[in-house]
Amino acid sequence: MADSYASSTARNRRRFWLVGLVGLIALTTVMIAPYFLDRYLVNVLIRALFLAVLAITVDLVWGFAGILTFGQSAFFGIGAYACALVATHYGFGPYWFFGAFLIGLAAAALTAWLVGVLSFYHGASPLYSSIITLALPIVLVQIIFAGGRFTGSSSGISGFPTYYWAVETWFVIAGVMLVVIGCFAWLFVRSDLGRILVAIRENEDRCAYLGIPVSRIKIALFTACGSIGAAAGFGYAAFTNVVAPELGGFLLGTESLIWVALGGRGTLIGPIFGAIGIDVTSSYLSGTLPFLWKFIVGVLFVIVIVLLPNGFASLVTGAWRKFGPKRRSADANDERASHSILLRPAPTVTRLGSNGEKPIIIEGLGCRYGSLSVLGDLSFEGRPGELLSIVGPNGAGKTTLMRCISNGSERTAGTVRIAGNEIAKRSPEKVVGLGVGRSFQNTSLFDSLTVGDCLRLSRYRIDGARLLRRTHHVALPKPALGILEATGLDKHLDQETRYLSHGQKRGLELAMVLATEPSVLLLDEPTAGLTKTERTAIGDVLLSLTNSYGLCVILIEHDLDFVRQISDRIVVLHEGRMVLDGSVEEVVSSDLVKSVYSGHAAEVA
Amino acid sequence: MTALFLDIVTTSAILFIVAAGLMIILGVMKLINFAHGAFLTVGGYSAYIVTDYGFSPWLTVPFAAFVGFVLGIAVERLVVRPLYSRPLDAILATWGLGIVITQIIVFAFGRGVQFAESPMSGTLEIFAVGYSAWRLTLVLVAVLLGVGLTALLYLTRFGLNARAVIMNEDLARGLGIDSVKVRVSTFGLGAALACGAGALITPLLSIDPNMGLPWLVNSFMLVLVSGVAIPGLALASLLLGGAQVVVSTFVSPILGGVTIVVFAAILLRIRPKGLFGG
Amino acid sequence: MRNLTLASGLALTLAFTTSGAAQEEPIKIGIPVGLSGANSVVAPSVVQSSELAAQEINEAGGILGRQVELVVADDGSGAQGAQRAFDSLVYQDEVDVLISMETSAARNAGLPIVNRSETPYIYTSFYEGRSCSPYMFVNAWVPEQQVTPVVDHFVNELDAQTFYLIGSDYEFGRGMLEFTRQYIEESGGEVLGEEYLPMDASDWTPILSDVRSKAPDAVITSTAGGAPNVTLTKQMRNSGIDVPYGNLAVDEGTAGNMGSDATGIYISQSYLTGIESEENAAFLSAMDEKFGSALETPNDLSVPQYEAIYLYKAAVEQAGTTDKAAVIEALPQVSYKGPRGDIQMNVQHHTPLTMYLGQVEEDGSVSVIQRFEDVDPGEQCPNL
Repeated sequence: MADSYASSTARNRRRFWLVGLVGLIALTTVMIAPYFLDRYLVNVLIRALFLAVLAITVDLVWGFAGILTFGQSAFFGIGAYACALVATHYGFGPYWFFGAFLIGLAAAALTAWLVGVLSFYHGASPLYSSIITLALPIVLVQIIFAGGRFTGSSSGISGFPTYYWAVETWFVIAGVMLVVIGCFAWLFVRSDLGRILVAIRENEDRCAYLGIPVSRIKIALFTACGSIGAAAGFGYAAFTNVVAPELGGFLLGTESLIWVALGGRGTLIGPIFGAIGIDVTSSYLSGTLPFLWKFIVGVLFVIVIVLLPNGFASLVTGAWRKFGPKRRSADANDERASHSILLRPAPTVTRLGSNGEKPIIIEGLGCRYGSLSVLGDLSFEGRPGELLSIVGPNGAGKTTLMRCISNGSERTAGTVRIAGNEIAKRSPEKVVGLGVGRSFQNTSLFDSLTVGDCLRLSRYRIDGARLLRRTHHVALPKPALGILEATGLDKHLDQETRYLSHGQKRGLELAMVLATEPSVLLLDEPTAGLTKTERTAIGDVLLSLTNSYGLCVILIEHDLDFVRQISDRIVVLHEGRMVLDGSVEEVVSSDLVKSVYSGHAAEVA
Repeated sequence: MTALFLDIVTTSAILFIVAAGLMIILGVMKLINFAHGAFLTVGGYSAYIVTDYGFSPWLTVPFAAFVGFVLGIAVERLVVRPLYSRPLDAILATWGLGIVITQIIVFAFGRGVQFAESPMSGTLEIFAVGYSAWRLTLVLVAVLLGVGLTALLYLTRFGLNARAVIMNEDLARGLGIDSVKVRVSTFGLGAALACGAGALITPLLSIDPNMGLPWLVNSFMLVLVSGVAIPGLALASLLLGGAQVVVSTFVSPILGGVTIVVFAAILLRIRPKGLFGG
Repeated sequence: MRNLTLASGLALTLAFTTSGAAQEEPIKIGIPVGLSGANSVVAPSVVQSSELAAQEINEAGGILGRQVELVVADDGSGAQGAQRAFDSLVYQDEVDVLISMETSAARNAGLPIVNRSETPYIYTSFYEGRSCSPYMFVNAWVPEQQVTPVVDHFVNELDAQTFYLIGSDYEFGRGMLEFTRQYIEESGGEVLGEEYLPMDASDWTPILSDVRSKAPDAVITSTAGGAPNVTLTKQMRNSGIDVPYGNLAVDEGTAGNMGSDATGIYISQSYLTGIESEENAAFLSAMDEKFGSALETPNDLSVPQYEAIYLYKAAVEQAGTTDKAAVIEALPQVSYKGPRGDIQMNVQHHTPLTMYLGQVEEDGSVSVIQRFEDVDPGEQCPNL
């Protein structure tokens, strides 16, 4: 154990060294560059560097977290106007300057937070957040227009007092800012939390049902990126000595998307070069060929989006993979494959029965969509160590029942109590906190994450996630470890999940749900599409969960043989009503059930 | 008061006409066409070409619709088709396309303001006040357009196929409906509507390379609020268009400019699927 | 330190070039202008008149024996583009002077660069006034010069008592109408309404309904040039408003293109093509000869640009050098007789101008109704 810990800190240290080294090289370049470049280029570059910082935030929000934002420019504008307004109307000096900086950051953070709260609620469509980010710069620009003399309306403000340092100094300021923020962003996206961002991008819903507070993480990210954007805008305004509404406008917002898309979303370095490259080139070309230049950028943009979704960076990485030094990278892969992540048992928690409450009690539960009643007046309970199967023909409302238990906002009547706590209107991630784990009908996993990443992120609720580091061990409860061993997944922790077999995916999903340490486990057809042997294995696992670990397992199943073999109790649903709740024998011998299942009667018998 | 009423009705009608093309494309193809603004512009320039060659100003709309249809089919094949599975990317690609179209217009016609002859000018006497004749005509056009589109969707083979694709594309394909063809014709129709709308609004506007852009965001909001249904779009246009006129008249025309955007954002938060959405 | 050497290096090169060591080295005139964006409509005419001025000067032997070279840069009609344009002109092309018309946003954005580099800058666009820099001179009109003829004519000749003001919501629009309101009230008139729309807005309906319900004696508008101006005029005519209509932002060319909608509009300019003077006739025929069918109608922006280049020539000749400080000192002292008459930027870096009140005729031409000699720009920059 000590050994693994040492190696993981060593790996983290290596990462820090690498980032530090690259950062240092970049910083040195920044310090020296202005003395070798002509003054005009230096001027152009300073602006481009600030814009590149903005591009980083767009990449974090869009490239990594998958939120298509048209409004990042609004924060840039807020920062810029904070600088100009304070210097014009209130005062100037080191304290004023720094104060204005903080005001800009705070105002942008507040705006971003409000936008986040408004648009990142559970179940919001990704389109809605895009709409809000689209509305944001439009509204901001109107506010600036309406501000008359105070904001300078459409002409903006210029000539306000600022530090007229030499361009070399400004170059260093902008460069250092870019390098520092770039390095932090780099560490961040490779950290545990960074992986969670990717997971949210790939399957937001699944994250919520693993107890990850998706909305809160998105809001926090958006707020942080808002302030960083404002910092860039502040620097831009302080250097150029001019602010204008276009700095916070919709067009700059879309332009920043173009930089990121061309550079390569989700690569950090791509957007940086995208922003600098396009801005500098347009400085040189727009003077002579303004329309042709816009045309070229437009055409490139369309081509990249259609044919090269990962931008020009993907060409470079593709070429590297093809022609780069193969042996070394293979070595690195081997090394990683052997030890990059270690599993260990988590300290046992005894949640169940701690207060003597039943794990789950459902009373009078109903769910209707408009005039259509999908579920009505369901009442039953589950005991610790019990395996409860829910059967019924298609459309009986089984999956809806699962939804109503795991998401407080789904049902329209009745109560669900988990270990004595009402789920009320809690969102899925909070219901997970009460002790409900849910697996899905389809194996919805995170394609580009590795098995180890998946396991780590399912521990977020309990172990949290590091902001800048990657932890290299995951503590899992015993049953989860058991499944991983049984399916051989513990040997493939560095495999991306898309390469797993269907059975392995099922196993991994179950392990992930168990990693959240539920007391009630909801399984929606866990054996669908599995072979006979895999089915038996899952059956054994479920039995051990109930018998050895005392979980309450609620199972939806179509395979009635399987149900009969493993269930303690069976609930039969028909057209949204509970027809029967009894032991296996009772259900099997019931005529009522046979008539309900007329078509499937043979299977039951 | 009469004037206010007429303002609301005519403004809503214009919004309805302008947004219809965007809605058809979103409805059938689940795709947000950010080149919509550029399509409107193309419509405006089509109108300019027609009257510049001395044809009757009444021919501007059919010609613009034809240009739009051809353009739509070309765009669908070149840009949109690979993006069906990536709706957010489709927004970006069509936005880029809008930039390209605008620049091509600049190359062809220059940057300046152009003028097209209007089919009619002056005022009509209605409810004892004189009111812009063309705006009143547009109300009629909007009603006809709404009825026509409904008939198209519910009374024709194309409409049946389109509705099948809307409801369940896989199933529709299983039933032998050529969904690719449905999509091509839908995009063509949407673009035709957009260009036609561009020609219809030119008598009120100037023709310049960016004339369509201010309409894009508002149309987009209206379509989302409508819940992507024709009656929904009519209602959304009346509601938000009305709100815009009321705010402009009684509060400030500047705030009126953001009324639709802000209202739509709030409405969509309360009813994420729009007024007529499930 | 580094900066110091750079500056002195620059000074050295300047010293060399001005001491006559390089007779062939041309004088560079930087023209940052909105080739794209809002100003793109008028920019070509400004470039044309600059080209004519440069050609004439070069054919006549240049300035102090040196040829003149124009460097045109697109500023996108906005702040960001203007910074790029000014930067590239000042630091990359190292121009001797900047002469151009621009949007207020672009001018404001460029000014810090002008100030930092201490480059002389002649601003050739009418604007809302009160923009001051020791390095900037203005040879076009400000509200004090343009608005008064329109209002005087409406009040005195047409007996207008009540006015309605409509504008685009930007510095020029607001600045003009603010002054207009003040002046109307001073002249005993009453302003019934003053409304603005954002620059990119195109639907004036609610404002026009308000105008109709308030029934003013006259309407005065000050919108951004191009699209907003056209849409407002069209929609106003469409809604049947036919009171006297003063448009502070329309130029002759646009009025001519607008057709019947423009008929009857009052405009107030310091330049109209119909000015009867030898200088104007010579200018127009030279323009016609040089550009032929490609000619953009000369207007109240392109003519000041033409004259500004000659003013710079006069200042350099008076100073005997292109040294920036010396030229700046000479600029207010020199005058030039151009198509608009005698031009001297001697009132707080601004220029007294002869203003013309015109009305658009049915054939799109503009007839001069009244002429106001030497209208003073008033207190623009009391500190200069």
